[in-house]
Amino acid sequence: MSKKLTVIPELCSGCSICELVCAIKHFGVNNPKKSAIRVLTTYPHPVMRMPIVCSQCKVAPCAKVCPTDALRWIEGVVHLDEENCTSCYKCVEACPFGAIYAHEDCDLPIMCDMCGGDPECVKKCPNGALRLIPEAALGESKRLNNILSYTQMKEIEFYEKGEKRIIHYAEIGKEEL
Amino acid sequence: MSLKSGYFKKHLHVDLTKGNAERRDLPDAFIEKYIGGRGFGAKLVWDNLRKHDFKIDPLGPENLMVVAPGPLTGVYLPSSGKNSFVAISPATGLYGDSSIGGSFGVELRQTGLDVLSITGRAPELSIIFIDNDETTIIPIPELKGKSCLEAEGRIKERLGTHAVHVAIIGVAGENMVRFACVNTDWGRNAGRTGIGAIMGSKNLKAIVLRGHKDIPVYDVPGLVAETEKACKYLEEHKYFKMWQQEGLMNVIEYANEKGILPAYNFKDSVFTKHDQINGAMMLDQYKIGDSACFSCTMCCSNICLVKNGKYTGTVVEGPEYESCAMLGPNLGIDNFAAILAANRLCDELGVDTISTGNIVGAVIEGYEKGILSLSDLDGKEITWGDEDAILELIQRIADRQGIGDVLADGARRIIDKWPEMDKIILQVKGLEQSAYDSRPSISMGLAYATSDIGAHHTRAWTIAKEMEEGQDWSDDEKVDTVIYHQKLRPLFDMLGVCRLPWIELGLSERHYENFYKYVTGKEASLEQLLELSNDVYDLTRLINVRLGVSRKDDSLPHKVWANPPLTGPNAGRVINRDDFQRLLSLYYKKRGWDQDGIPPAGVEKKFDD
Repeated sequence: MSKKLTVIPELCSGCSICELVCAIKHFGVNNPKKSAIRVLTTYPHPVMRMPIVCSQCKVAPCAKVCPTDALRWIEGVVHLDEENCTSCYKCVEACPFGAIYAHEDCDLPIMCDMCGGDPECVKKCPNGALRLIPEAALGESKRLNNILSYTQMKEIEFYEKGEKRIIHYAEIGKEEL
Repeated sequence: MSLKSGYFKKHLHVDLTKGNAERRDLPDAFIEKYIGGRGFGAKLVWDNLRKHDFKIDPLGPENLMVVAPGPLTGVYLPSSGKNSFVAISPATGLYGDSSIGGSFGVELRQTGLDVLSITGRAPELSIIFIDNDETTIIPIPELKGKSCLEAEGRIKERLGTHAVHVAIIGVAGENMVRFACVNTDWGRNAGRTGIGAIMGSKNLKAIVLRGHKDIPVYDVPGLVAETEKACKYLEEHKYFKMWQQEGLMNVIEYANEKGILPAYNFKDSVFTKHDQINGAMMLDQYKIGDSACFSCTMCCSNICLVKNGKYTGTVVEGPEYESCAMLGPNLGIDNFAAILAANRLCDELGVDTISTGNIVGAVIEGYEKGILSLSDLDGKEITWGDEDAILELIQRIADRQGIGDVLADGARRIIDKWPEMDKIILQVKGLEQSAYDSRPSISMGLAYATSDIGAHHTRAWTIAKEMEEGQDWSDDEKVDTVIYHQKLRPLFDMLGVCRLPWIELGLSERHYENFYKYVTGKEASLEQLLELSNDVYDLTRLINVRLGVSRKDDSLPHKVWANPPLTGPNAGRVINRDDFQRLLSLYYKKRGWDQDGIPPAGVEKKFDD
């Protein structure tokens, strides 16, 4: 079963722990600028904190532009063939998300390898903003949110064992269209 | 074991008058003795004072401003994003420092520096851009009068990158408002002691950083294991989730319940409409996101948005407790949206929320009591909770317009001009007081009186202990607790880490000797580190003594002796002057200072080299 590393930006606090643990795991150094995941922040309009990390595209734009065919999507991960990579960084520029990184100390582009299926960043994110989920589950929460925010939904407050609750229902046929 | 890692051993000094930048080597002895952060700052400021025969105008080009992270800044451990700004303060004329969280200090370390110092005055408004090994001074006069946020955006446009970290001043800093702050990461301010005014006096709009270097760590696997232990402890703490959600805003409810929340310029210490401005209200109607300092799991900062009413669209990183208390209850404001608007205005202008809240509160009370006339107020009436008048006055302070020009010089000049205001405004050594009422807590009074920067809670915060345990602990215990805090809390500022995991969630301070060991490769016990921190406390005391401080200055605001809170659990309580003096004498004795508060003659030698 192929798993996807997915980001829930609304939960990100911008702490950069994902960057630190990524760099420590892959390079053994304390340097957030050597990580394959980076938190970007914008303020105040819009206010956004979002970790940017490889989506492991099946039809990968990075692989398409690689002149030496050093990038290949295999079982859910875009692999870098270090022997064939010429460090031209075409992939860094081609990634539509900016999720491949370069650093002057490193000979190769820095890209997410999913830590062999158990990403360090997901394990250490204190806010649950990074998740590893089965590919087929992608979009699940969006679908649920879509239903919950359905505009014609009505709500009723009621009490159950003394606790306030809300039930939602759709009033069919009575909305003015 | 001696020092093996943890530092770049580099100090960058920028002379803005000459327009040059010089990288100097830091000797091991200096590093081991002063550790970093405020330790480096105090020593460099001391040396500069000696060079100028202790005659320094805080707003003159000779005042040395130090920007110093610590050896643990930027390292993978709980909340390592701290950085200190140190100088002779324009608010007090004495030793001053202020620390920030966020990521600015991390970026400074990644440029390969342990400390940055700045003197001189640029011929026109400029920025310092440190891009790894290269430093340039760029004149950028078009930023004059621009708010912190707008100017930061323009700098990024001009440099063609968003991947830089910026410490910037607003209009208040440019106008040398003596409680102007330095704004970093948009919403994080080095608020206290007027460091922003120093940048203004140097014609320095911003310090811009871009660094890519590895932060040196001696034993990475050892560090990771220690950090995982600490993080696990924090995550399992029963209040961890609450800290993530409410953050520092949870203190409003606590302070109100205990009767230590400033209301109506400390006339009262509870606020009737506390439920309109507390953490629950924030969560219910305003919070739209979390914000954490670098490498922090607690994320005690919040992002708030006003979604309706006249302040719609106001976004703020915060408010944290102090800002909310000083701009809310202390000014009689019970509308959380207005507090957010005032906080945002302070961020844009670059003024300290604590000092601003004190000064505006004192103006309202001064006018109420007839000390200030309507003409003093330039014909503009101001009363408790009058949001429009309050926001306008804050703007006038930053612009130095009318009465704002006097207020901009802080408590001291206000008292000089209207001596009766001494009974109204809460300050120690010229620094306006933090948002914890010390009247029910004599140990907190001692903490404010003996803090090296003035009435701020950063050095010792014993009020919670006194609230929990009552007044019954002995004088010895009270003084010992204040001194222990004054050793430990500044140690966090020297190491470059946040103290909240310790003070709020009880993370053992023993972790920090291990963090220090894994990062530097040098074994030092917590007790040894505390002694080094204590030496720095002696040094900042020496600085203040050489600048004229003695027992008479280690005092408290008039209200603390004379005007008890009107209602709440501490109604009627004040600090008794004799009790306080007895405690102060004991404090001096335990510190080894004489009864005038002067350290013994030999101490100065410790800081010679």
